[in-house]
Amino acid sequence: MRASAPRTRARPQPGAGRGRAGGAGKAAARGLSGARRARGTRAARGPAGGSAGARRDTCSVPATAMAQLTARFRTENRRFAVEDVPFSVPATSETTDLSHLINKLLAAAHEDHKYVEFDFLINGQFLRLPLVTHMEMENISTEEVVEIEYVEKYMAPQPEECIFHDDWISSVQATEEWILTGCYDQTARIWSVEGKSITTIAGHTEVVKDVAWVKQDSLSCLLLSASMDQTVLLWEWNMEKNKVKALHCCRGHAGSVESVAVDCTRTKFCSGSWDKMLKIWSAVPTDEEDEMEEAANRPRKKQKTEQLGLTRTPLATLSGHTEAISSVLWTDAEEICSASWDHTIKLWDADTGDLKSTLTGNKVFNSVSYSPLCRRLASGSTDRHIRLWDPRSKDGSLVLLSLTSHTGWVTSVKWSPTHEHQLISGSLDNIVKLWDTRSCKAPLYDLAAHEDKVLCVDWAEAGLLLSGGADNKLYCYRYPATASDVGA
Amino acid sequence: MEQPSPSGGSEELSESEESVYSGLEDSGSDSESSGNEEEQEEEEEEEEDEEEAPGSPSTLQTQAQGKRKALEDDSPLEGKQDLVVHDEYKEDSSDEEDIRNTVGNIPMEWYQDFPHIGYDLDGKKIYKPLRSKDELDLFLEKMENPEYWRTVQDPQTGADVRLSEEQLALVQRLQRGHFGDVAFDPYEPSVDFFTHEVRIHPVTNRPADKRSFIPSLVEKEKVSKLVHAIKMGWIQPRKPREGAPTFYDLWAHEDPNAVLGRHRMHVPAPKAPLPGHAESYNPPPEFLLSPEEELAWQQQDPSERRLPFLPRRFPSLRAVPAYPRFIHERFERCLDLYLCPRQRKMRVNVDPEDLIPKLPRPRDLQPFPTTQALIYRGHSSLVRTISVSPSGQWLVSGSDDGTVRFWEVSSGRCLRTLPVGSVVKSVAWNPNPSICLVAVAVDEQVLLVNAGLGDRLLVSGTDQLLEAWEAPQEERPQPVRWEPAGAEERARGVRLRVQHGKSVMQVTWHGKGDYWASVVRSPGGRQVLIHQSSRRWSQAPFRRSPGLVQCVRFHPLRPHFLVASQRSVRIYNLLRQELTKKLQSNCQWISSMAVHPGGDNVICGSYDSKLAWFDLDLSTRPYRLLRHHGRAVRSVAFHRRYPLFASGSDDGSVIVCHGMVYNDLLQNALLVPLKVLKGHAPTLDLGVLDVAFHPQQPWIFSAGADGTVRLYT
Repeated sequence: MRASAPRTRARPQPGAGRGRAGGAGKAAARGLSGARRARGTRAARGPAGGSAGARRDTCSVPATAMAQLTARFRTENRRFAVEDVPFSVPATSETTDLSHLINKLLAAAHEDHKYVEFDFLINGQFLRLPLVTHMEMENISTEEVVEIEYVEKYMAPQPEECIFHDDWISSVQATEEWILTGCYDQTARIWSVEGKSITTIAGHTEVVKDVAWVKQDSLSCLLLSASMDQTVLLWEWNMEKNKVKALHCCRGHAGSVESVAVDCTRTKFCSGSWDKMLKIWSAVPTDEEDEMEEAANRPRKKQKTEQLGLTRTPLATLSGHTEAISSVLWTDAEEICSASWDHTIKLWDADTGDLKSTLTGNKVFNSVSYSPLCRRLASGSTDRHIRLWDPRSKDGSLVLLSLTSHTGWVTSVKWSPTHEHQLISGSLDNIVKLWDTRSCKAPLYDLAAHEDKVLCVDWAEAGLLLSGGADNKLYCYRYPATASDVGA
Repeated sequence: MEQPSPSGGSEELSESEESVYSGLEDSGSDSESSGNEEEQEEEEEEEEDEEEAPGSPSTLQTQAQGKRKALEDDSPLEGKQDLVVHDEYKEDSSDEEDIRNTVGNIPMEWYQDFPHIGYDLDGKKIYKPLRSKDELDLFLEKMENPEYWRTVQDPQTGADVRLSEEQLALVQRLQRGHFGDVAFDPYEPSVDFFTHEVRIHPVTNRPADKRSFIPSLVEKEKVSKLVHAIKMGWIQPRKPREGAPTFYDLWAHEDPNAVLGRHRMHVPAPKAPLPGHAESYNPPPEFLLSPEEELAWQQQDPSERRLPFLPRRFPSLRAVPAYPRFIHERFERCLDLYLCPRQRKMRVNVDPEDLIPKLPRPRDLQPFPTTQALIYRGHSSLVRTISVSPSGQWLVSGSDDGTVRFWEVSSGRCLRTLPVGSVVKSVAWNPNPSICLVAVAVDEQVLLVNAGLGDRLLVSGTDQLLEAWEAPQEERPQPVRWEPAGAEERARGVRLRVQHGKSVMQVTWHGKGDYWASVVRSPGGRQVLIHQSSRRWSQAPFRRSPGLVQCVRFHPLRPHFLVASQRSVRIYNLLRQELTKKLQSNCQWISSMAVHPGGDNVICGSYDSKLAWFDLDLSTRPYRLLRHHGRAVRSVAFHRRYPLFASGSDDGSVIVCHGMVYNDLLQNALLVPLKVLKGHAPTLDLGVLDVAFHPQQPWIFSAGADGTVRLYT
């Protein structure tokens, strides 16, 4: 049993250990058996300690291996724990080599072990390069024992469905069974997760900019659609009859409504608009119609409300942004977060309507997302970066991390609902990227299916990644968080 | 039994106590031992009966020198002691000692009362020889022993020693006052070790005498006497010799520091290159040419050859023949030397970096557009003109394909397409945020289009504003005809058409959003018209225009009106109806013009690829003429908020510059080129036709001849 595949050529690694690299290279060149190691020969062969003798031959490194590094492996997952002793691994190992090593150790420990691909983290950074190269780049000393954390490798998202629309897809939100999309053809559509068209919701007179599920009962669903026609419509979808009825027409915005978000109690929602206002509305359907203040435009509006359900006016209006609001969300039951074109993200108290804090960037924000798991905000902006913010810190650098790989505006970001480190982002460069915040240099996966601008992404709880764009296609990916989750 | 005299013996022992090692025979102690012997010898002459010693221990020949030294100054007793001390330290070598008595360097008299005289190497006592003889026995021995006279007592062992013949001879020589060494010749000619000459390196370490650096009083006295004599005239100085030849000094009056001074222009002869490995008679093999290379060398032109000769290998230096080209090359070298230009070029030493004005780095002037973000595709022909809505949400573009398109800025989505049937020359969005109206110049008419985008209240308010017009009682003559649009056009958004009768080149709005101006192409006639949309009223402010009007703008703050003709810009005061200023552009043909939102600066782009920045407070001449573009500048624009301006050119690029205007009148504007934005493919020799800044963000839109509008952020 070998810890790593033998290399065809010994490349001396600079800084890979005094006197070891050269000696090993020579040994490899001459084909000597047993490269001389300056120290830690025992550790190099296996776990030092009582059981070392038994394992010595089992995980010995091939004789032609070059410079060695001493590494200690640990994992959060108890199932895959290995003995906490330093191992010596070839300096040029990559993740596959290390994965082999761990698997062999596990197989030696448990008979029923099945092969699992692992991914490796050094100081919270994913290993993507050969070990020694990574450590040189990260300025980690190769002389000391390296702490390597390993996690199950995230499987690539599996493409499932490609749902064709008639026009650009401006927004998407999915539940476990249904997908709701907003479209530039002034409709919203409901699809099953298998890609079957359930119904089309028509009623807006302009482009639908955002959609949201309010709640789902056994028989009916409440959902919202925000449009460029300055209204938000609250719909009731009767699943049995597959009928959609507009319950309320939320009027009050004086510009295109760019974003809606429903709070966790499912009784309120907020909307952000191009008119710089943030409005909070009730999401509870009633039979009463709110009075509109503008008497002058009454006849025209009246005509529309007859068609589109009862008029509803906002519970509160929060003003403070100096430019259009591009994205809103609830961070918890009382807090609203809004991202704007005026280069700020503002946090509001939903009860009192007070501005709690302002996070100032220097570029237009297109999208914002909040993860309750890691309590971080992720923002996508026009300078092609995704930035992570700590909304609670009041001092110091507010930006915790910048994820830079997109080459166009980041139009949409979404945290994983189940994983505290992962998020997806869609960009005008036609690519959807899946990120792990522990590897901020490069995304985990690039999903390059779209042929035009990506306008919206969503991550459903069931592990479904959705992205819609200007190529009229909605792509669905099945993304199991880990291999073990698939089995579970 | 006669002992050496106690006084003498003790004295001798005390004198030599440092040097007397037990059993010390040779080396360090030999001189003193010889002294002892000698003294004993003298004693021995009186007292003659001594036991015969068991043979001389020392070999005197080897110590000739030491002995000699000892003899040289043996006479005074103190001197002798000194000498003994000297000898001790000079020639002490303990490993040559023949140590029989180990008592060490102690006065031997301490052992006078003991039967032994010390201890041998094994620690056993060395007993004194039994001296049981009394005076009588001694006398008898003296009388009877023929060797008595040459027997002495060894103080270390107490034994009697019989002097050998050589020792005896030495003693006799010394007694006679001769040198101990027979071979030594005291009269051989002496060789001076020192020389009488003064050397620069002192041989001695003796410090200089005081007298050597104190002026001599005697000499001082002598000199003062002479000085006094000269002063008094008693001594006459020597008369100068007659007949000394005088020469004319040719360079006497030449300033050695002058530029043309002597040897100032000396240029050293260029050095001949040193021979390399190829010149060697036995060059390394890599310098030898292969047969092919040799052939190529021979076919080459002599002036092109890398080496002027063929490297060759000879077995030895003797086999090297005479170099055939030697004379030739020497001659060429001479030619080189004498034809070498010995003239020095006087060059002004200017660092080119100093000539570049000190400008801040573009990085410090953020934000400005840097990369292309969006492409608005849809037009099928070149996009001639664009305009952004005051909210920054919409963009309108007019194209040669006969359509006007409305775009959503943030997504690049075309929301409306308005076919107008002919080439759109100019579009202008009403800058008033409460009016949603776009002026479109098509062919011979200007369409006022309600875009129907944005707030519905504004859209309907705009319609109401236009419909509120009531026809006046008496019809006033107007240069244009206002017509309401037909029902079909109305549904598409067109509200009014303003028939000009001649092709309209440009429309521009006043900042308040009610007045607008249009430029028509009618050479010599009334080219500029000002309209009021709410009253549907038009007038031609200028009876005749000077030259061809290219572009007009309203002043953003004051009631001024700027008219750009081919070569100059005129600024009129509309209230007083007079010409306030005329700006000379220094350009061949102005293409476009933009006014700084502060109102005191104007930029003009020209077809001869120049951009002129005018500071109205400063001069009527351009404050700065920027030649950044390679081809004709089609369009210029100022940003409303940021200190940015941009120019679009036929070379397909947009150049964004930083144009900071200060409130301080003494400080001139700071112009820094920031970024060249490329993206448009030049089509039909045209590149960028129009540029427009986003009203809020530091973004710029450019309309290109390739049918696209691009957004750079």
